[in-house]
Amino acid sequence: MEQDAPVGVREADTAASGVWRFVPALAPLVVLAVFAALPLANPGPNTVRLLFVTLTLVAMSVGWNLLGGFCGQVSFGFAVFYGLGAYTTALSINGGIPPMLAFLLGAAVAAFASLLIGLPTFRLKGPYFTIATIGVSEAVRVVMTNVPWTGGASGYRIVEKVRFVQIHHYYTGLALAALAVGISILVRRSKFGLALIAVREDQDAASDLGVNPFTTKLLAHALGAALTGAAGGVYARYAAFIDPEGVFAFSTGVAILLMSIIGGIGTIWGPVIGAFVYGLIHEEVVAYFPQAHLLIFGTLLILIILFEPAGVLGLSKKLFSVFLRRKKN
Amino acid sequence: MPPILQVDRITKFFAGLAALKDVTFDVEPGGIYGLIGPNGAGKTTLLSIIAGSLRPTGGAVMFEGIDLTKKRSFGAAQVGVVRTHQIPRPFKSLSVLENVEVGLRFGRGRGAGNAVHETMQILERVGLAHAYRQSSARLSVGDLKRLELARCLAARPSVLLCDEVCSGLTELESGQVLDLLCDIRRSGTTILYVEHNLKAIMKVCDRVIVMNYGQKLTEGLPQQVQNDPAVIEAYIGKPAGK
Repeated sequence: MEQDAPVGVREADTAASGVWRFVPALAPLVVLAVFAALPLANPGPNTVRLLFVTLTLVAMSVGWNLLGGFCGQVSFGFAVFYGLGAYTTALSINGGIPPMLAFLLGAAVAAFASLLIGLPTFRLKGPYFTIATIGVSEAVRVVMTNVPWTGGASGYRIVEKVRFVQIHHYYTGLALAALAVGISILVRRSKFGLALIAVREDQDAASDLGVNPFTTKLLAHALGAALTGAAGGVYARYAAFIDPEGVFAFSTGVAILLMSIIGGIGTIWGPVIGAFVYGLIHEEVVAYFPQAHLLIFGTLLILIILFEPAGVLGLSKKLFSVFLRRKKN
Repeated sequence: MPPILQVDRITKFFAGLAALKDVTFDVEPGGIYGLIGPNGAGKTTLLSIIAGSLRPTGGAVMFEGIDLTKKRSFGAAQVGVVRTHQIPRPFKSLSVLENVEVGLRFGRGRGAGNAVHETMQILERVGLAHAYRQSSARLSVGDLKRLELARCLAARPSVLLCDEVCSGLTELESGQVLDLLCDIRRSGTTILYVEHNLKAIMKVCDRVIVMNYGQKLTEGLPQQVQNDPAVIEAYIGKPAGK
């Protein structure tokens, strides 16, 4: 997953010349403006809901990519943070805490849990770490199904004394997604980002140069968990009802990973694109193929890893450079 | 001058096999120390222990009052003891420049000063400046060896541990790398140089430690060691009929 993809090479190195030079810097702002202005077009509630859910997926996917993409530690266990964020937020809102603070608490609890999980599991390398995260994820789901004070398997309801305004939720989701992408960009350009990639490429060699691989992974895990936890919280407040089989589902953990891989693992924009692809087609696929949707996503995953490990982003970069070459000739 | 590095009765067992037995020697600051011995003598194992990437079964390695065997490799690098790898281990998805930046930002200097400027200086010093933007995955063996050295230099070591920096290189390239080692010593870095190529060792080392079967066989000036019957026996074997 890590050798073939041209991931990690700084974006500037692959940037085009001329007017195209400004595209990478301006495009995110344009996209953000379009999303912010979208409600002016008066979309239906179902479209807004779909976009809202997709924006929370962006935050999760970008968060996962900090650890799984930049640092190469593939975790199947991010549903734990999603669920913990959702439950913490739900309990906090019902306890009278303002929603924004409740999201922060959700993020904090998820980050704290990531440390508890990371301390033992980061002693394992590669696939062993991945397997451990599956175990942790399932264990937490089973525990949460049996905890009586959050309703156990029957779920938990959020009661808010404010009127439900869908568009407010949409903007919360947009803000969170923008925050996630902002963090991702800052991390990639920072000293910490360099450590993440060094650890991904060769943990021991990185350590020989003074990088502490253990704390590097813990920090990336915590950042990713916080973003995923906040996304769980934002979603929980919107849904007003959560249950362990929903928010702690193993399939959520797989979906988070799938999004990065579809879009382009280890890049800044890959997880964003992947989240949109997944978010927008997932519902249709589930609706048309209720029995076979997992098979379809599984096949997609295998095809991407076999033929285009750099995902949609890698594919479009290739097509773009072909287009530029054609134009020159 | 007090020694900069004291290797004190280092012992290492792999299961029941003793890879190192009570190896003791001092390294004085500012020299190139050669560590030689036939294949399997325990040279690289010893190097890994000094660098903190392997824990010994017993013994200590003292550096500026710190026992390096209590540290992990990143800890050793942060106080100024850095190793190269016999088989280069570049961070393949990073450019040559970024590879060196890792050493600069996380080694002893911790990224003080202008990173790009300093990185380019180091690349010029090892003769790799022309390739700074290249992906490190596309370098030749010779350039990969240079990159290993450049990354370590960026970490500002007081003691540089070199593991067979000439293996796989042409005669010409070896010469350049050995000149580089001499240049590094002149700038004040002490070098412990593991090699089984005797010619390279004799050319640059101030002092040579010979190992065989996990033990220190002898120690001395290159000429002394070269003519020591015990060393000749370890490398070539006993003359027939004796």
